[in-house]
Amino acid sequence: MHELHPGSTPVNIVMIEDDAGHARLIEKNIRRAGISNPVHHFLDGTSGLDFLLNDMNGPARNGPALVLLDLNLPDMSGIDILAKIKSSDELKRTPVVVLTTTDDKVEIQRCYDLGCNVYITKPVNYESFADAVRQLGLFLSVIQIPDLEEGGIRRGGEAG
Amino acid sequence: MRAMGIACAMQASSLSSLGRDDRTNRQISLLLAIGFVGLAGATGTAYLVQRVSEGNSQLVAHTLNVQAALAAFNSANERAETARRGYLLAARDEFKARMAEAQQQREGLLGRIEELTRDNPRQQERLHDLRQIVAELDALQDQSVTGIVGVREALATDFGTDRAVVLTRAVRDKIREMIMAEQDLLVQRQDQQATTIFRFNLLLVLTALLVVALSATTLTLIRRNLADLRASRGELRQLNDELEDLVDLRTEALRRANAEIQRFAYIVSHDLRAPLVNIMGFTAELETAREAIHRFAARLEIDHPGTIDKDTRLAIEEDLPEAIGFIRSSTRKMDRLINSILKLSREGRRTLTPEPIDLAAMVRGILDTVRHRADETGTSFSVGPLPAVVTDRLALEQILSNLIENALKYLEPGRPGEIHVTGAELAGRTVVSVRDNGRGIAAKDHERVFELFRRSGAQDQPGEGIGLAHVRALAHRLGGTVTVESALGEGSTFHLSLPHVWQPGDSHA
Repeated sequence: MHELHPGSTPVNIVMIEDDAGHARLIEKNIRRAGISNPVHHFLDGTSGLDFLLNDMNGPARNGPALVLLDLNLPDMSGIDILAKIKSSDELKRTPVVVLTTTDDKVEIQRCYDLGCNVYITKPVNYESFADAVRQLGLFLSVIQIPDLEEGGIRRGGEAG
Repeated sequence: MRAMGIACAMQASSLSSLGRDDRTNRQISLLLAIGFVGLAGATGTAYLVQRVSEGNSQLVAHTLNVQAALAAFNSANERAETARRGYLLAARDEFKARMAEAQQQREGLLGRIEELTRDNPRQQERLHDLRQIVAELDALQDQSVTGIVGVREALATDFGTDRAVVLTRAVRDKIREMIMAEQDLLVQRQDQQATTIFRFNLLLVLTALLVVALSATTLTLIRRNLADLRASRGELRQLNDELEDLVDLRTEALRRANAEIQRFAYIVSHDLRAPLVNIMGFTAELETAREAIHRFAARLEIDHPGTIDKDTRLAIEEDLPEAIGFIRSSTRKMDRLINSILKLSREGRRTLTPEPIDLAAMVRGILDTVRHRADETGTSFSVGPLPAVVTDRLALEQILSNLIENALKYLEPGRPGEIHVTGAELAGRTVVSVRDNGRGIAAKDHERVFELFRRSGAQDQPGEGIGLAHVRALAHRLGGTVTVESALGEGSTFHLSLPHVWQPGDSHA
């Protein structure tokens, strides 16, 4: 097990997923892929967004994060959350992984247009899903660094 | 209900105008027939009048002939008497000869008159009288010139007692009487004929009036008929307009219903996937857990043999893998089905754009993509002349690909495949037919093959039973239809009928 430590602050994994089963499976696979970062799980969009934007431990105020986002939420569409993240100055560099059952090309395109970093269709084939999440872990450990360094510099500037 | 009502009303109205037409047509035919009979009658009458006037001329000529013969007879008679007198006075043979000649003429003319008046009994009667007088006169005249001296002198001295004079006068009277009778007859006949001609003329005039009246009536009827036709045409147009409005309304309703179903299918299939992900995912967790137990059991077996009873081992090594296997294969199948519905619903929501399409090039392109498979199975293709069509390219390509791939997929084992793609234009529609000599479809399955998840015949080919349902849905969206003709074991022909030029508004989807 290892944590993603691009800087001194561990990366928080924020998962917004209404299906408890999916959330459990995703978390299990993240752990199985050897990623031990804290996972904050939210069952609806409102509380997830609130954490992202306003929570003291949330990424807007405190350190880098990775967002795992389901598109079908009971209270709002994941697309709206994605748009809010990408339009927020504090969060726009936070990588967002869209995880959903939809493989609708139009929707995928919209997510990428809005700035989603990775789009993963929840496959029923569990092994390949696990692989995808593991690869995502590796992928994140590679792409996170410059983003977070930038963030670190900016935050450092603020602090100074 | 309203549609039916309008259809009924339309039928009733067209029936009623048909009935009116029939009646008017019968009337017109009858009137025309009467007119023609009248004309024929007039022609006949004219002919008869002509004949009558011809007969009239003949009768006049006849009367004149009779009168001339009578006059000639009278003249001969007078000559005979004059010659006899001459002889009595001068006793010259010259007179005798003249008398004989006149007598002979008189006799000949009598014969002629008899011949001419043979048709008239009264004239014959008079002629009979005349003949008697002439016979007596003849005898007297002959007596006067033959011989006995005393008699001739006696006669010569006293003409006043001469019987011949009396007879001659009687002849003269009789002739006049006959001429008068003939004249009367002529007048009478002419009167009669004048009456006939007048009647004929009257008839002609009446016929002419009748024809004029009939023509006028016929014209009126035809005009009324035309007015009726105009009225019913207007009525039809109105009904047609109403029907079009109704069709538009229905089309809109259908379009909405279809969109609703598409949305429904999308949401349902989408939401069905979420629990499926859990089932599949946790089945994998179960499998992982089973492996852990299995490893533990194996270790236990080595460290403490005989600790694990038979049932537990069976459960770990057979029952659990079997159950997990079935759950997996079922969820995989369910996933494929849901994906199919999703795909269909997504296709249903795609915006279609018509464009002119070179069908022949499209079919060639599709055949190229399946060439490899065709070569493997020894299948040959033929493509007939294909018409141009304006429709959505992708949709048409998917339809044709599906049909051609199906033809290639369901071959009759042991028979080299032959696939023919032909085109035709029928009543403003483009029909593309894909014919194969494959295994065919039983008649009971002809509709079923177009249903989602339904397949026909031996289930020996991969597939979810979605292709033809997709084809039909697409064809409907393009304002078209797909039908199949097939006999089991002989091959199938799928006909795709599309509007020549499709406009998005034409679709009911």
